Amino acid sequence: MTSIIDERPAEHAPPKPRSLGRINWLGFWTLYLKEVRRFMNVATQTVLAPVVTTLLFLAIFTLALGRAAPEVGGVSYAQFLAPGLVMMSMIQNAFANTSSSILISKVQGNIVDVLMPPLNAAELTMAYALGGVTRGLVVGLSVALAMWIFVPMQVHDPLAILFFAVSASLMLSLIGLIGGIWADKFDHIAAVQNFAVMPLSFLSGTFYSIDRLPENWRFVADFNPFFYNIDGLRYGFIGHADGSLLIGVGVSIAINAFLLAVAYLIVARGYKLKA
Amino acid sequence: MSGAAPRPAGLDDASAAPTPRILRTPNWVGVKTLYRRQLTAFLRFGLESIGGPLVSSLLFLAVFVLALAGREEMLPGIGVAEFVAPGLVAFALAHSAFDMGAFPVLHDKLEGMIQDVAMAPLSALEIVAGYVLAAATAALLNAAAILAVVALFVPLAFASILQALLFAGLLALLFALLGMLIGLWADKWDHYSAAETFLIMPLGLLSGTFFSIATLPETGQALMRANPVFYGIDGFRAGILGVSESEAWLGAVLLAVLEIALVLVLWRLVARGYKIRA
Repeated sequence: MTSIIDERPAEHAPPKPRSLGRINWLGFWTLYLKEVRRFMNVATQTVLAPVVTTLLFLAIFTLALGRAAPEVGGVSYAQFLAPGLVMMSMIQNAFANTSSSILISKVQGNIVDVLMPPLNAAELTMAYALGGVTRGLVVGLSVALAMWIFVPMQVHDPLAILFFAVSASLMLSLIGLIGGIWADKFDHIAAVQNFAVMPLSFLSGTFYSIDRLPENWRFVADFNPFFYNIDGLRYGFIGHADGSLLIGVGVSIAINAFLLAVAYLIVARGYKLKA
Repeated sequence: MSGAAPRPAGLDDASAAPTPRILRTPNWVGVKTLYRRQLTAFLRFGLESIGGPLVSSLLFLAVFVLALAGREEMLPGIGVAEFVAPGLVAFALAHSAFDMGAFPVLHDKLEGMIQDVAMAPLSALEIVAGYVLAAATAALLNAAAILAVVALFVPLAFASILQALLFAGLLALLFALLGMLIGLWADKWDHYSAAETFLIMPLGLLSGTFFSIATLPETGQALMRANPVFYGIDGFRAGILGVSESEAWLGAVLLAVLEIALVLVLWRLVARGYKIRA
């Protein structure tokens, strides 16, 4: 039995539904590119500004320590500090990218344009998350190159650098994604930024060896994924770690898997995204 | 129709054109109104946002103390925490003065409300005074709150409250004026945050805020002595700790001269309607 449609002249036939395949790579890639272009369009603010801020930190701390700066972990203080600052800038920027993108879309109402296209929750989550990871890596690389001018940085283990750079960017990118979905206004995201991301990125061994902490404060490091990421990245540069690398890798993978699951679930349920 | 009800005496005058109100110069009521408008906006929203600078100041304090634990003294007799604490307060003061100076002007411009201010019977100088004084006041309130909290953790001598107040006032005014200048110049928020990152942050952080200039090489020290912000921060620190690296009177004069120059620039800009009138 032929349907009515087949009897019509060809030009009147409705277009056939496009087959998107198992994974909508084109849609995923488009959203990812949109996320990257969003921050590259304002690179002065999103890449150059963190570079300047980080160099300022480097200057302040080296100057404050004076010429007789003590060695930390077998290298000069500046060499110890540099990887910490690279990690700090990646953490803050990966978080800023996803959280601001989602929240601005929500506040301005154009989040619909992302929800309507044929992208499933996993594709949405991954595209946003990888956009944040890209921002983190671009900023981290820029900061590292800029600091290379002032600090003789060595590369001890490129693989460790790559792993911890990606893992920290992904972690913060996912936290930003979840935070951006949860937040109703910019104050909420500013609160997460000021009271969680900033303190954790500051106090987890960015500026000092964790040995400096009093005994009963060491737990700050033991259960802190920020610490393992900073410590691991620093190991990649200077070849000295305060904590265990193996535990660091394990903790990073576990926390990223958990965050991915949470992000996927809330995107899939449309929590605060679909009315 | 029956005749109009007897009109009360005196209403006849009402039909005449109202006599223009005489505004003396300076228009104190006008300045006070503009000042109160800005300050009320700060008290309503700004106090909520004090948590951010407060936490970041305490974070910096903790980080400096932990990172610099190797150094016992920043200046003779002054430990790391004592040295850094006034610097942190001065930085927060400068930063928030810039914020409050630039934000309202740019916001009013972008929302089109600047016309309401420009139309009011206020001279250019009065407009500048209203915006800048409110910004400086708000910054001082902010800094006082941070100083109070920091003083809980760090023993501060409060050597000369008068000098601390003088230099806090001068710093607040300087950055409020810079803020208003940036607010007038900026066409969009990007310009504002660019000025914040590339001008205000370096100026605020590299002017002896966290380190003694004795650690700098010769040229650095000479540069620092040409930097008015250094005098402001050092003068404020001297008021709190009683130890300084510069001449207080020289700093006060330098800052005052610079501020008068900035007021003149702003006055001319506002009078010409720079980026206010189309």
